[in-house]
Amino acid sequence: MSQQSAALLAGLVLLLPLLGSALCGLLGPVLGRRFVNWAGTLSIAAAFAVALVIFIQVLGAATGHQSVTVSLWNWLDLGSGGNLNVSVDVTIDQLAVLMLLVITGVGLLIHVYSVGYMEHDPGVARFFSYMNFFIFSMVLLVLAANLVILIIGWAAVALSSYLLIGFWYERQSAVVAARKAMITQVIGDVALVIAAFLLFLNVTTVLPTCPPGAVCSLQALFAQHLYTLSLPQIFANASSLGVGSPLVTLVCILLAVGAFAKSAQFPLHTWLPDAMEGPTPVSALIHAATMVTAGVYLIARFHVLFEMSPIASGMVACVGMGTAVMAGFIALSQVDIKRVIAYSTMSQIGLMIFAVGIGAYAAGMYQFLLHAFFKALLFLAAGNVIHALHDEQDIREMGGLNSRMRVTAWSFLIGSLALAGFLFAGMFSKEDLLGFGLLNGPGTPALYIVGIAVNVLTGLYAFRLYGTAFTGQPRSDAARNAHEAGWVMLWPVVILAGLSAVAGWALQWPVTFGPHLINDFLNPVFSYFVGRPPATAPGTSLGLVGFGIGVGCSLVGIGVAVLIWVRHDWDLSRVLALPGVRLIPQLSRNKLYFDEIYDLLLVRPIRALARGLRRFGEPVMDGPIRGISAIATDFSGIFRALQSGLIRDYASYMVLFVVIFTVAVMLAAGVAK
Amino acid sequence: MLSPAMFPWILLTAAYLFTLGALGVLIRRNPLVVFMSIELMLNAVNLALVGYSSFLNSEEGQVFAFMVIVVAAAEVVVGLGLLTRVFSIGRELDVDDLDELKR
Repeated sequence: MSQQSAALLAGLVLLLPLLGSALCGLLGPVLGRRFVNWAGTLSIAAAFAVALVIFIQVLGAATGHQSVTVSLWNWLDLGSGGNLNVSVDVTIDQLAVLMLLVITGVGLLIHVYSVGYMEHDPGVARFFSYMNFFIFSMVLLVLAANLVILIIGWAAVALSSYLLIGFWYERQSAVVAARKAMITQVIGDVALVIAAFLLFLNVTTVLPTCPPGAVCSLQALFAQHLYTLSLPQIFANASSLGVGSPLVTLVCILLAVGAFAKSAQFPLHTWLPDAMEGPTPVSALIHAATMVTAGVYLIARFHVLFEMSPIASGMVACVGMGTAVMAGFIALSQVDIKRVIAYSTMSQIGLMIFAVGIGAYAAGMYQFLLHAFFKALLFLAAGNVIHALHDEQDIREMGGLNSRMRVTAWSFLIGSLALAGFLFAGMFSKEDLLGFGLLNGPGTPALYIVGIAVNVLTGLYAFRLYGTAFTGQPRSDAARNAHEAGWVMLWPVVILAGLSAVAGWALQWPVTFGPHLINDFLNPVFSYFVGRPPATAPGTSLGLVGFGIGVGCSLVGIGVAVLIWVRHDWDLSRVLALPGVRLIPQLSRNKLYFDEIYDLLLVRPIRALARGLRRFGEPVMDGPIRGISAIATDFSGIFRALQSGLIRDYASYMVLFVVIFTVAVMLAAGVAK
Repeated sequence: MLSPAMFPWILLTAAYLFTLGALGVLIRRNPLVVFMSIELMLNAVNLALVGYSSFLNSEEGQVFAFMVIVVAAAEVVVGLGLLTRVFSIGRELDVDDLDELKR
């Protein structure tokens, strides 16, 4: 792909959603709902078309020429010989293209769905404006080839997430959830910015301005180091940080903190379940398919650095797997349909983070791709259910929906199977990355065994959700009177169900247990290793064994869930009431008390501190400022009193000053004499 | 031709008249009397100018006195025009009452 066409295509895919956002936001309130529906959706459709063109171009490029970095324009010229320029650089490579396709493709389906979902909402123009803006920010994030641009995209997705979680701003809980998400995101933003500073200061290119051995002036020595913000240059010179050095470990841990905040990983995960306060299409697009996987993307993009720090990447792998188990455990007892799916998202992203932590980047991105399909599907199907039940989200009030909403129920079943890892999408990606877990990563195979446990948990909660919501008898009037959604909301669901069903098979056909197309496609991006060697892929026989174990465990989970929540053969209530066991469901139901712990450890002390500072600050800080303004007011009061408006007063002043002036002149003349 | 001994008395008279006019402007509230006081001040200045002219044996002071008379006439035209206008809209003729610029 030539530089010009890369710049043109990247510019288009960036500008189209931004244009859509501006049109919807500025003209939408004037031109009405039909205009907004078309403008908001067509802009994303056009962006998807451009993304497809980019994909074809990258596929068709010769080996070694698939990655193109172009500078769109020089944004900030900070002088000093061009070292500190911030230019708007974009990189188009396989990783970026994969992300682009998912963002715009799944984004398009969800935008179409939103037309139906927001049919009666008065704020539809605002909604589509925010959604388009989100697509723009996400595209900016994945295309960025400059630290500053990356951070701008990173912060802009957090902003659009904030705006969309708090979309129904008249609801107190939505506003609080939006604020919580924003604050957690900012923790990650700060970590990312510090990491960027460290990279900028420490990764320098040595220019041959001062030949070795020669005596040079200080200026020449300073000019010798080329500071850079450009990501390709940073990666190319990353070895100057030193393999395994404390510095590179620190940078990687900071990057990982940023990734954890964005991807809702322990300990920065508490915002994601609350983020379900937003409209369901938002949950599907931002909090399942795209934004929350930005952390995975970040680590994959900075893989050169993570390869240099075994400590940091080991930590990433452990946190990912830990979050996967924890979220799976919590998902078992949640009763809000969206929260269950939110925790499952957290758990699945934990697996992706684990994969990128052990160096299986392509496997992590493979899981990202398939997860985007089936998780968007689950959310949109859940949206249909919520819509049909008039905003009822409690699964205890559902039941028996499979005979009332056939298309949604079948799609949800496909999504649940894909999530649990049997037959459909999740089976391939999860077993693929767990297969890597057999041979790589810290404490092998301890984390692999935990991963197998996650498989069981996933099967359990996925089919608890399906069984409780869709099978049995309806448990409320709303569920009894539920009707299938309209076609504009069903088509995206059906398409996503089809994708979830066939994508894994298509990508791994005909060799189902070995290398797959995504792997071959992405591996050139991940071929530059400074530190450790690339992660070892399991051979066909070991892969087959791992595949068998993984699917077997998923089936165990699914089977147990079916026995408990679909057929009701096993009654757990007596077992769970036993003294020692009682604690377990209690922990799960209360989300392991994370919110309470954070409230006690962070929120309350900070609030108390703020209150104390205010008590101290009001007299100390405000006093002098009030005093200054009081002096000015009093002083000007004197002069204000002179302006009486009476002619005789003004005449008196005139006479008075003429007299004073005359006397002064006479005195001065007398002195001079 | 005045004798030089007269000169201080002329200046003193002018100063007396000027002070009288200034006090009239400051104290009286009837605009017509204020006008008359202003005229008094102008003529006090005229007297001083003419006195100096005679004392210094130059014509410039007298020319200035004529200028002052002309300007005073013009000022009276404008001022009296304003006053009749104020009177015709039914306002009391009182300089303290005419304070709209402040409000």
